[in-house]
Amino acid sequence: MLTAVNGVKNQMRVTRLSIRYAVMREMLNKFTFLSNVLFMILNNACMIVQWVVLYSINDDIGGYTFKQMLLLWGLSASIYGFAHFLFEKAFHLSDTINTGKLDAFLVQPKNVLLQTISSDTKISSLGDLLFGFIMYFIHGFTIESFLLFIFFTASGGLILTAISIILNSLSFWLNKSDMIAEVGNSLMINFSTYPDGIFKGITRILLFTLIPVGIANYIPIHVMTDFNIYLFFINIGVTLLFMLFAFLIFYQGLKKYSSSNLMSARI
Amino acid sequence: MTIIEVKNLSKKFRVKVKENGLKGSLKSIFKPKYKVVEAVKNISFEVEKGEIIAFIGPNGAGKSTTIKMMTSILYPDQGSVRVLGFDPVKDRKKLSYEIGTVFGQKEQLWTHLTPYDNFKFFGAIYDIPEAACEKRIDELAMLFELDDFINTPVRNLSLGQRIRCEIVASLIHEPKVLFLDEPTIGLDPVVKENIRVLIKRMNKEFKTTIFLTSHDVGDIEKLCKRVIIINDGQIVLDDSMENLKYHYLNKKIVEAKMKEKVNLDDEDGITILKDKGYNLKIEVDTTKRSVADAIKLLNPDNIIDINISNVPLEDIIRNIYQKKD
Amino acid sequence: MKKYWFIINMQIMSNLQYIFNIIFGFIGYFIMLFILFNLWQYLYSDPSELINGYSLLQMTWYVVITEILWSTLSGSKFCKKICNDVKSGNITYNINKPYSYIGYSLSTHLGDISVRLLVYTILGMLTGLLFLGSFPSLSLVSVLIVILTSIMALVIQTLFMIAIGLLSFFIEDANPFYWVYSKVILVLGTIFPIEYFPGILQTILRFSPVYVVSYGPAKLFVDFSWDAAFSIILAQIIYFVIAYLLCFAIYRKGVKRINVNGG
Repeated sequence: MLTAVNGVKNQMRVTRLSIRYAVMREMLNKFTFLSNVLFMILNNACMIVQWVVLYSINDDIGGYTFKQMLLLWGLSASIYGFAHFLFEKAFHLSDTINTGKLDAFLVQPKNVLLQTISSDTKISSLGDLLFGFIMYFIHGFTIESFLLFIFFTASGGLILTAISIILNSLSFWLNKSDMIAEVGNSLMINFSTYPDGIFKGITRILLFTLIPVGIANYIPIHVMTDFNIYLFFINIGVTLLFMLFAFLIFYQGLKKYSSSNLMSARI
Repeated sequence: MTIIEVKNLSKKFRVKVKENGLKGSLKSIFKPKYKVVEAVKNISFEVEKGEIIAFIGPNGAGKSTTIKMMTSILYPDQGSVRVLGFDPVKDRKKLSYEIGTVFGQKEQLWTHLTPYDNFKFFGAIYDIPEAACEKRIDELAMLFELDDFINTPVRNLSLGQRIRCEIVASLIHEPKVLFLDEPTIGLDPVVKENIRVLIKRMNKEFKTTIFLTSHDVGDIEKLCKRVIIINDGQIVLDDSMENLKYHYLNKKIVEAKMKEKVNLDDEDGITILKDKGYNLKIEVDTTKRSVADAIKLLNPDNIIDINISNVPLEDIIRNIYQKKD
Repeated sequence: MKKYWFIINMQIMSNLQYIFNIIFGFIGYFIMLFILFNLWQYLYSDPSELINGYSLLQMTWYVVITEILWSTLSGSKFCKKICNDVKSGNITYNINKPYSYIGYSLSTHLGDISVRLLVYTILGMLTGLLFLGSFPSLSLVSVLIVILTSIMALVIQTLFMIAIGLLSFFIEDANPFYWVYSKVILVLGTIFPIEYFPGILQTILRFSPVYVVSYGPAKLFVDFSWDAAFSIILAQIIYFVIAYLLCFAIYRKGVKRINVNGG
């Protein structure tokens, strides 16, 4: 038991170091770092204009007030920021697999998946993360909702990362799966910035199942507006489920990677 | 003590075959055709503790595939591998604490960090306590003469300095076996020599078993006591360096600079390779005639300078390949 | 004869791959349009309603057109390429070539996006039909003018990308400027027509690049008038000149800087 605890502790230490080093690399040039972060905040802020205009037509869009819409925007940005800041490599995993760069992680005695996905960061995502919190404060501050916002940022970020791992892991079996992953990611991102009430029928069902934007982004807004323990646990449960599935499929793929190793060379 | 035990190891790859032309590429989308390539065919060998062993062969011979199977990156199709008693397939994690790997062309270091920070990172990966890690780094830095640049970011180092750091990084956790895949690739001769000296010193100091793949003859000649030559997935030769030299190296090259012209013709045991008047290059078959005898023929009083050397190993290996064919 | 057949084969093959990639990329466009269609359907309580002078049919077709222009451009990649050219010093090899770097970049990019433009236009039209069932009222002349102004819009956009990319001469990373520029175009002219904005802003927008690079062609598609056509074409010509001069000025200044500093 003690060794297991130690193992987890050591793993956390290495993952933390790995992320810190990746961030240090991106911060080498202070100007680039700052401009990336600031411009990303500005970039996101531009989209507020869209909602100002739309809410001038109608005070209620898809069941969201203007402030709730800002909160949804903020949460979606911070979820994206969280995932890309900590686990950028998860979004380029198929490239890592296809170019054989996984080998370096395979000879290390740590968790291959964690080591790989934490080995890179995207600096502009810090801007997304900050933007998310700015939106949150504009929406209004209470201790409970602040804690919930942090929690949902993390759970949503993990869902987003897990989906990317699952789709990118398809490269163990298929080539061109990076395109599938790209579509998956853009589905997650695009739907997450529009209120769920505008979608009906099958789309709505999909958003709460296969494309879990509903669970990662919409449910949190409902919970933060009007706390509902039942929805809160659905969010936790689905997050765990996706993480588990991501681990399973990645390790299944890894087994295949090691045992068959399809070489795609032209002869 | 046997450290590595490889028995009847085989590995096949399926390689997608693409036929030429439009028809071919359409076909390959719907019904891909595969060709089976046997990268490693039924090879067996053992490595003893403290040995430096060279695993050599031309590109595509199966060197990397074998090393990948020993380091649990690839699983074998048939046969078994035991490294330090571990099965790489089942005990990946346990094994990884005991072995070090350096892949010459794939960097493991973070280039924006200093070697020192990198070593600390590797220390964390292998769960080494802070103090022990620092001590180990000091020791290795001394051995590999890193002091001048241990605090310079890796991206500012020369290739030779980088490789030295790569090797040190893979030694932080005191592995019992070190796998070096083409460690001197792309280096200039002086740096190569320097790396070899350091590897040898390290082997002496820590008794680390070293398994080295290379297609650089110098690496092997300078470093190894035992050589395994692999070609086309099969072991062509597994012998001591000495034996290899004895069987394939019974010829000496004598190069001499003369005061006066000598007239020498091919005779029993002597072949003239080059004769430019005052400069002479001959090959002596020592089974037929001693080197001393050959020099006598040249008239020792007449010699200004003389150099006696072995036939380059490259030629020997080529010779072995040819015999096998 | 055989070798020519071989060349044709090779060419078709590499293009097939290319077209496949484009079609795959179209999925992103489709998702975006799908979301916007849902949004407008929600906002329009009945199809005959007019919001800021646009019916549901016109509003959706407006977005179909602006999004085609937007997606075809793929500006972020192109802007990055220009930045890299500057940063890596590749650009200096062009200085002594008998063509201008600006002209060269403009024409390669236009060549690159032409097939995509065609594919996106066809698929975009089909998507519009799928969602709405009919076109806004069109005539042969209006369609021709829409095509003409669309191409002009892409040319002007490309020049602006080049200008932003060339800023790398002076700053470490010009990409963030592109993000903001593209977001302005997106928000102020791609998602809605400029009639959606309050009075003063509307006037400003009529004189801004938004008017020529995205609003113009789409407006002509959903609501054609000769008046609008003339003013849009005139504005495009003026902007073409401005954008080109801007590129030229930045390029000249940047190259001088390299010569002084020795690259």
